[in-house]
Amino acid sequence: MAIRRRRSVFDIVNEYFDSVEEWAEHFEESLMEKPSWNQKTCAFEPLRDVTVTPNEVLVTVDLPLTEENTVKVEPAGKNWLDITAKMKRKVKFEEFGITHHKGEFQTFHCQMRIPVQVQMDKLHFRCKKGLLEIHLPRKNT
Amino acid sequence: MSEVKIVEKGKIAVGTTMLFGFPDVGLVGVIAASHLIEEMNLTEVAYLDSVLLPPLIVLHEGLPHSPIRIFGNNNMLLAVSETPLAAEIIYPVMYALIDWGRSKNVKMMISLSGIPVQDRQDATELKVFAAGSSPEMLKVAESKGVEILGEGYMVGPQAVMLQQCAKLGLPALILLAQCFYNYPDPEAAAEVLKGLEKITGIKTDIAKLLEKGEEIRLKARDVMKRTQQEMSGMKKGQEYDIPLYVS
Repeated sequence: MAIRRRRSVFDIVNEYFDSVEEWAEHFEESLMEKPSWNQKTCAFEPLRDVTVTPNEVLVTVDLPLTEENTVKVEPAGKNWLDITAKMKRKVKFEEFGITHHKGEFQTFHCQMRIPVQVQMDKLHFRCKKGLLEIHLPRKNT
Repeated sequence: MSEVKIVEKGKIAVGTTMLFGFPDVGLVGVIAASHLIEEMNLTEVAYLDSVLLPPLIVLHEGLPHSPIRIFGNNNMLLAVSETPLAAEIIYPVMYALIDWGRSKNVKMMISLSGIPVQDRQDATELKVFAAGSSPEMLKVAESKGVEILGEGYMVGPQAVMLQQCAKLGLPALILLAQCFYNYPDPEAAAEVLKGLEKITGIKTDIAKLLEKGEEIRLKARDVMKRTQQEMSGMKKGQEYDIPLYVS
């Protein structure tokens, strides 16, 4: 007969806060329009995607014009990732035909929330043709 | 007043091929269309005017333009949108464009688009598939070496285009290159243009497109992000579904 471990009250409270955090994130994304660049930090925000499989979480991030050896993926808290990458060259607004904003960009930066519990210490990643692929093994529940 | 109007800006060639490049998976159609406009020196010959569109203009050199425009020369017409279409306006917009194309006696309509593939980043070769408005059009595609997309669902402007052309008896094809779902994919755009060349003989310098690939991916991030939002609104993910045919 299988033995089920009883969930502690802390697990339940943690899950509750996780779901509130997730809801707030979706709410913010749907209502708050923000640019995909930050003039102050000279950074572009990359396109990204998260896929949850039974064994791992796969995160992909599109990083065109990136120096692949400068890509950094660091845990930021128990279920957040901080991703930065340096670009091969500075990119100015003028290159996109934009003259009403001033600024130049040399990095990609974003923070991502991982929707399930993972083993952050076992994360590994690779970058191929400017597409970053991060693998995070899931925690056994 | 009709809800959707096509406003002509000059002389328009008749009896040509009409192409469509709309924001969709991997922005394949839009990237391919932009390359065609630049390479073939296509000029704006008409634009779409409608109260159904969002209150949006595209500024080019300080002047307002419709986000949906038709470019052309003596051999082709190309309808392209610089903004993704919301699900509720796809039917009226596509019907208006097809009716307008019919009024110009276009000999064939071809939509350039993509079909998402898993593990795209590891794919070394991207296939191009075709779907047609009639068995004859499928034969045309097959005879030119383009594989047929046999079974499945299709969601978006190209789906409406193919269905309407089939209904009206207009020769039409959709060319779909395997691509990323969520990321701009210039390599897939290059493949779909190779497919277009096989079918129509319209030839462009693909190497130039591939050279600019990373710049295109950088520039296309915002359009891709908005396209993702519209795609989830129209249940684009249904294209992954396994169909159940009731015979």
